[in-house]
Amino acid sequence: MLKTFMAFSLCMACIGGTSAAESEREPFDDRYCTTCHGTDGRGNEGVQAPRLAGMEPWYLRRQLENFRGDIRGVHAEDREGIAMRPMATKLTDESIDDILGWISSWDYIPAEATVKGGDPLRGRDLYSGCAVCHGADATGNESLGAPALAGQNDWYLVTQLKNFLAGYRGAHPNDTYGAQMRTMVSTLRNEAGILNVVSYINSLSR
Amino acid sequence: MSKQVTRREFLNLLGAAGGTAAALKAGSALGLLPHTAQAATVDLHAANPANRKVAILGAGLSGLTVAYELSKVGYECTILESSHRPGGRIFTVRHGDLIDEIGNRQYCEFDDEPHMYFNAGAARIPSTHRNLLAYCKELKIDLEVFINENKTTFMQDSAVNGGKPIRNIDYTTHTRGFLAELLAKSLSAGEMDEPFTDAEAETLMSLIRSFGDLNEDNLYKGSLRAGYASGGFLEHGVQKDIIAMSELLKTQMGNQFLNANEGDTGPMLFQAVGGMDKIIEGFTNHVGHQIHYRSMVNAVEVKDDGIDIAYYQDGTRHLLQADFCFNCIPSHIMTGITNNFPTQYVDALKYIRRGTAYKAAFQAKERFWEKEDIYGGISWMSSPSKQIWYPSAGMHKQKGIILGAYDYIDGELHTARTQEQRIEAHLTDGEKIHPNYRNQVEKPITIAWHRMNHMLGCSARWQRDRNAWTHEEEELYHALQQPVNGRHYMIGDQVSMHSAWQESAVMSAQWAMADLNQQLLA
Ligand SMILES: Cc1cc2nc3c(=O)[nH]c(=O)nc-3n(C[C@H](O)[C@H](O)[C@H](O)COP(=O)(O)OP(=O)(O)OC[C@H]3O[C@@H](n4cnc5c(N)ncnc54)[C@H](O)[C@@H]3O)c2cc1C
Repeated sequence: MLKTFMAFSLCMACIGGTSAAESEREPFDDRYCTTCHGTDGRGNEGVQAPRLAGMEPWYLRRQLENFRGDIRGVHAEDREGIAMRPMATKLTDESIDDILGWISSWDYIPAEATVKGGDPLRGRDLYSGCAVCHGADATGNESLGAPALAGQNDWYLVTQLKNFLAGYRGAHPNDTYGAQMRTMVSTLRNEAGILNVVSYINSLSR
Repeated sequence: MSKQVTRREFLNLLGAAGGTAAALKAGSALGLLPHTAQAATVDLHAANPANRKVAILGAGLSGLTVAYELSKVGYECTILESSHRPGGRIFTVRHGDLIDEIGNRQYCEFDDEPHMYFNAGAARIPSTHRNLLAYCKELKIDLEVFINENKTTFMQDSAVNGGKPIRNIDYTTHTRGFLAELLAKSLSAGEMDEPFTDAEAETLMSLIRSFGDLNEDNLYKGSLRAGYASGGFLEHGVQKDIIAMSELLKTQMGNQFLNANEGDTGPMLFQAVGGMDKIIEGFTNHVGHQIHYRSMVNAVEVKDDGIDIAYYQDGTRHLLQADFCFNCIPSHIMTGITNNFPTQYVDALKYIRRGTAYKAAFQAKERFWEKEDIYGGISWMSSPSKQIWYPSAGMHKQKGIILGAYDYIDGELHTARTQEQRIEAHLTDGEKIHPNYRNQVEKPITIAWHRMNHMLGCSARWQRDRNAWTHEEEELYHALQQPVNGRHYMIGDQVSMHSAWQESAVMSAQWAMADLNQQLLA
């Protein structure tokens, strides 16, 4: 049953220990992403794991480093963040590089809209605040550290906006961009505002 | 206890207890238990040569059942399994095994001996699970009794008995004595005997007396049923002191003892000798060559003339074309796999919640529990580790593997912790029952099913309200049971009304194969 699998030497090195039996042990690497994040990282609502395909490498790196550094995914109410953090905690810089390379090999296909009940017209007004950083077409702006929003799983956007609003995300003193988001998201005020702005983002294609 | 219970209050309590029992009966024992009247290997027609390619997604028990049965009648089966091992939630951990928990990978360091294993997933087989047992017989899997309840095990709750553990035998003997005395008083007070004939009342009284071991005055004054404080063999046995009811009423932990032999764990229970995965081995002895490991299904497209499965193996994308497909990939993982299923089918997949079961185990340097008269069974604690299981096999050997924590309902607390925090908590909890526990155990392993690679959960949870299925839930369930285009079947205990049992996985597979058979005959 022990199949040979591309195990990177650098990951093998991080297993630690030098027991004689180690060579017989089942090898592994850190390419776990698709178990949760679905086919080619297109996101999986079933476990609330967002789309990774199409996310900017600089944004992914920052988030992986935030998870690893206990800056994100530490608040007791951040369920999804808590699920993610232990995974990132184990990553070395090299395995982050490897994962980013892997993710960039996946085709980007925009997510389908699932969120119901928002008013995109009201959302458009609210979005004007977001557009400053994320762009009028929500395609993101690297120089401002703002990722693309169009094409992302809308249920994920809703959860994250709620988390920012409630302080479950972005409250850590070292989360500079998170702090900015917290200020901005307060203009959405409540769940209705969040649904409105997300349904507007759904109308923007990337 | 601050106030005495009047008879009226007691009878009210009885009413409440009756309600619970009735609910239990309707909810699980009757309504949800699958019908196991007919244990059967399914009677299938030979495959049509032009229509015989079958793709099986996931080498879980249900997938292997399909492979085994369909291969018998000439189908050409290919099993795609994303993990490095077969069996899914039937997972026996032994020396050197990889526990592939995402973010908490471990290798098991137990001694390399046949009795040094841990059933991290399925562990018990009720004697009423006939379909599973029929396969055990057919595949020549040795079974032995699994000891679920053992009167010498403990319960421990810091609120009662000064935190000192209480033996099951003490708790149950005294509790039954007290309950019987209360009932006997009610009956003799004439209020309760009204609906009974004299003969019935007499039988009832004798039942009550024997239930609680009451004396001739219908009072509970302790019982030798709890064993002896001293003597009993060469000298007269000395009866143990009673633990006062007011003391025992400080905890509800004892419910575990009274429930232990009820419901699914009521029948005689078995385990496979040497580990539950011997069942999986029984199947793979026949169909193991059909399994492609580390092959992660990536897309499922049901077409008019067949079904296309895309999967990744060794970093390359492959295509498998088949006539039929049986799929036991967990629903919450399937929702992330590209597919062209109908909306209601996808809605059903999305509706199911995933369980959060958590287990941990230690290697014991010596079988210290045997020195405390414990051979098998479960101790219960109010602290989060909840249970200690003593092995049902390997008696009197030097070492053994014990379960150090098991939370079936809500393992999230442990899951959120680091490996070190988890282990420390289990040691601290275990010490409350076995004071030297910390020094007697070593080589811990933990398994948070919510985070296990390729599983991400334990059993499917269909019901939002644990007492009843809503109409919507039943509709979604039946939608998921039906094949897509007559070609794609979801299987596994997730497609049953009694998840978390191997029997349900087997029966879902049998249901799907019987349906296909029916369809092909039509
Ligand atoms: C903690 C625990 C305790 C239990 N206790 C008992 C017990 O005492 N008695 C009892 O009878 N039952 C028990 N069960 C339940 C029993 O284990 C299950 O009902 C049974 O094993 C489920 O089998 P399944 O066929 O549904 O497949 P699963 O075991 O769910 O297997 C699914 C398979 O799909 C594979 N897979 C996932 N994603 C992909 C993909 N993308 N591509 C390919 N393959 C994929 C997985 O790796 C896995 O092998 C317990 C389960 C747990 C977790």
